[in-house]
Amino acid sequence: MQEIIDSINWAIVTPILIIQGLLALVALLDLAKAESTNGSKWMWVFIIVLANTIGPIIYFIIGRSRD
Amino acid sequence: MQWMTLFRKEMIENWRNKKWIWVPIVFILLASMDPVSNYYLPQIIESVGGLPEGTVIELPDFAPSEVVMMSLGQLSSLGVLVVTLMSMATIAGERKSGVLELILVKPVAYRNYITAKWTVLIILVWVSLLLGMLGSWYYINILYGELSIQSMLLVVLFYGLWLTLVVSVSIFFNTLFKTPGIVAFLSIATIIFMSVVTQIFSHILEWSPNNLTLYIMEMLQTESIPSELIWTAIVTIIISIGLLIAAIITLRTKELAN
Repeated sequence: MQEIIDSINWAIVTPILIIQGLLALVALLDLAKAESTNGSKWMWVFIIVLANTIGPIIYFIIGRSRD
Repeated sequence: MQWMTLFRKEMIENWRNKKWIWVPIVFILLASMDPVSNYYLPQIIESVGGLPEGTVIELPDFAPSEVVMMSLGQLSSLGVLVVTLMSMATIAGERKSGVLELILVKPVAYRNYITAKWTVLIILVWVSLLLGMLGSWYYINILYGELSIQSMLLVVLFYGLWLTLVVSVSIFFNTLFKTPGIVAFLSIATIIFMSVVTQIFSHILEWSPNNLTLYIMEMLQTESIPSELIWTAIVTIIISIGLLIAAIITLRTKELAN
């Protein structure tokens, strides 16, 4: 396993990881500021953090309550 | 003047609901995912294991143009899904919540209201597509070989027309129904239906918008713009404008009936 980790060119993977992190971060900040969401806030925290990429997208599409 | 006000309102709203952040990010991820994961596929297969000792996996070396098509493939499935889902409530939501009535208390022309919404969505989708394909282009040049920025920009130009059509379909259904879920469902169903019809009547519907990616592939392989691509692009633009006009008429009759 170690050699596989070493063989990955991090210069290639890092931008993707940063962008994914940014997406999750924006979703979490939006969630923190939101007055109410569709469904409980804690549920959305878990979805955003655990479901990589898909989680934040689902939050933005159905989690934000329309005002 | 009135149009600019509506346009600005819409821009601010899409900034506040973070569409300007998450849609470009999602497009970048969708477009970059395949170039990277295909490059590392041998390592991924190896690390997952389960193969008998001595198995040799021969994976084809992809040409840059093939990798572009992989990125477009992702955008055509998940990208289109994201576009329809993020635009499903743009008018339908305002009609449902009554915001539309508040706006239309003032003498706002329906055509201004709809074209402002459409323009903002188009800008958002095109910027996202451009950023996404630049991400794909970056990885292709590092991992697979040289691909000129000109050909990538041509891909963006022609593929953007396909997404323009998707937005127009969504705007049209937005004016027909008040429930965002139905709007998204019908938009996707329409696009799937179009692709089925294009496949069945492929000999007649040479210029169907669904063939755009096909001709884009041809363009990349022959390194020249095939005339079919131009005609398909024109047909796509005409259908988009037609849908936009239909949307304006539908909203006008619907709202006057209320």
